[in-house]
Amino acid sequence: MAGRGRGRGQNVSFNIEQLGFGRGEAVPVSVTQPPPLFPTLENRPLPLIKDVEYEYILVTQKDLNTRMRNSSFHLNTAIEIQEIQQIHNPSYEKELPVLWNRMPTELKKSIAKKLGIEKLKTVKSGKKKKIEDPDKIFAKLEKKEIVESEGEGMCDGKEDEDEKEKSDDEKVEVEDDIEEEIDEEMDEGTDYASNYFDNGEGYLDEDDNLDEGEAQF
Amino acid sequence: MPPFTLGHFSQVCCQLLNHYFGEIVGQVGAYLLRRGHRPLFDIPCATGLSIAEVKKALAVMIQHNLVKFEASERNNNIAEYSIIHHNVYCLLRYPKYLYMIKRIYGTSEEILLEILLNLGQASASNVIFQSANRLKEANDPSALHQSFLKLAQDNFIIRCPKLADNANMQKVPTLVVEEKEKFTVPHLEIGPIAKLLKENATQLGEHSDSEVIWRVNHERFDVELRNVILVNAAARRVDSTAGELYHLILKLWRECSNPDSPTTNALSFNVIKDAVRKNEGSSPVLLEHFEQYLRVLYEDTSSLITKVGDAGGGQFILNYSIVFENLACATLDSIVLERFGSKALRLFRLTRIQKFMEQDQMQNIAMIPAKEAKMFTYKLLEHNFLQIKELKKGTSNFAPVKSFILFHVDLPQVARTALEASYKGLFNAMVRQMHDLTDNKRLLDKHARLETLLESLRGEGLPEDELAYLSDSMTAAEKSLVARIHSMNDHLTLGQTQADDTILILESYLKFSSMT
Repeated sequence: MAGRGRGRGQNVSFNIEQLGFGRGEAVPVSVTQPPPLFPTLENRPLPLIKDVEYEYILVTQKDLNTRMRNSSFHLNTAIEIQEIQQIHNPSYEKELPVLWNRMPTELKKSIAKKLGIEKLKTVKSGKKKKIEDPDKIFAKLEKKEIVESEGEGMCDGKEDEDEKEKSDDEKVEVEDDIEEEIDEEMDEGTDYASNYFDNGEGYLDEDDNLDEGEAQF
Repeated sequence: MPPFTLGHFSQVCCQLLNHYFGEIVGQVGAYLLRRGHRPLFDIPCATGLSIAEVKKALAVMIQHNLVKFEASERNNNIAEYSIIHHNVYCLLRYPKYLYMIKRIYGTSEEILLEILLNLGQASASNVIFQSANRLKEANDPSALHQSFLKLAQDNFIIRCPKLADNANMQKVPTLVVEEKEKFTVPHLEIGPIAKLLKENATQLGEHSDSEVIWRVNHERFDVELRNVILVNAAARRVDSTAGELYHLILKLWRECSNPDSPTTNALSFNVIKDAVRKNEGSSPVLLEHFEQYLRVLYEDTSSLITKVGDAGGGQFILNYSIVFENLACATLDSIVLERFGSKALRLFRLTRIQKFMEQDQMQNIAMIPAKEAKMFTYKLLEHNFLQIKELKKGTSNFAPVKSFILFHVDLPQVARTALEASYKGLFNAMVRQMHDLTDNKRLLDKHARLETLLESLRGEGLPEDELAYLSDSMTAAEKSLVARIHSMNDHLTLGQTQADDTILILESYLKFSSMT
């Protein structure tokens, strides 16, 4: 802590002269910025060696690149495949020349296809059902509204008893329908209010109640 | 870019996969590089690829020995995939492999190896068939069969683990390594291959050895690449005759010792002498001055040969860890020299030899003015070429502590720093190359199409002036741009190859130094 007493304005705890700066010489300012992304090149690197050996390796490398690029192991992205299909060959699809018997069965393509299609189907049908249901409900609700307003209008004026009964019947039917629909919806678990609240008791003991008997204190 | 960062080494691997097998494989590879063992169904979620794409990518990587799989411990029907880092990195060394094989054997072996590299894993018959197809003129599969035997005999290619007997019952096949049969070529039926070739078939159907699958033996190539470095070192240190002698001795060492141990078994003087006499290609200079050359090599400070005893005229071993330490030091020296200049090199070397040094000592012994010496020392320290060791003197808790600051070189750490820098350089070169090629893809494609068109028309005998007219469909500016891109591309490829040379030396040093 020898330098502390001297107090030369710098916030360092040692003598600046130790670093090789004479008295009164400018000390480099501290850097507060991150280093540049592309720093300037201080020394030019040596030129690359270019002899017969490296020339040959270079040619081999290029050859290998084109071969690999054209081989069926080079997987193209979906966009690239589309481009190729548009320009060259509409039924373009490469067969992978891979030794399938030495790989896990889950990688094989046939299985992949089946699984993919099945999944898609289930997903689609599920979605359709859900999309359709609200439409039906709307339609029925509208119908009901019309029926009600008609009913009111008829109440005001002179009305045909038969017709009123008929419309009442219809109304009841429609209401039943709606209730059924709504019940279905609820059964599918869209009613969050009934099961949303979790008091945290079930946390971490989903399937084993091993520590139930243990002391709680 | 993947939503996570990778180390420089992994980034290089990822780029290599991108380069050779396309973006999809690159993405899956990046995920596996980052996460280690993973089941199939984790990958699509994390990478955003479709499951079919991921399956293809995994199949390609398994076929090329870049990914291995084993049944999950929890569920035997699910495989867990993990990437083999070293094999991915070795993609960069394929051209070197080919060059090496061409130098040692010849063109037909090179073609065999190239076909095997393209296929990843393949049966012997298939490799021979496809190679013969490539070598249209010399359509003789039996000669290629001999070449294949040679490659297997010298362990450059190795059998893949065999499928277990009950493999078709299992969802994830078990692979069994047969230690004894790793390099044995089964009996091949050359007749049917020759017949198919005459019929100009493009595919080899059922064949007798379709169950015996071969791949490239990277470990053997590593040993050979290291040996090339050592022979070059001997040749550069003394002269080419010494290189020749060293090459012979290395061959003897390889035959008598385990390739993975850091030192070879001892060879006696007489054994070496006999080998030199018997070798047909020995130059007359070597025969005449054999003893002198051997002496020069083992007395040299580079320790390319270490003498360990006097029995049988002298016992000689090769200590890989010492030799590669010397080579790594030389590499680091030249890195320091080129980056910081000769004065910094003097300080660096001095500190390395003297182990621990104080600042004052350094500037006095290196005879560099105080200020400059300090500047270079701190520069080296900043870039992790020097390390600080602080020694505190005084036991009392109250009295001021006198401390010594000693500089030293922690060689493995400096080597690792340089290695990281090399990986980073390699990665940068690859990114730059990719960028140039994708940015100008349209132009390059156009140029390539034009070239092939001109080539074919020239073959048909079109007059020169019409060809010139056609070739004018690209402007001079475009042509010069294409030429510039190509030369830049060559330059970057060459740079990558040579960065790999440095990496090989540093990697070998770290490998052997961790063994001892």
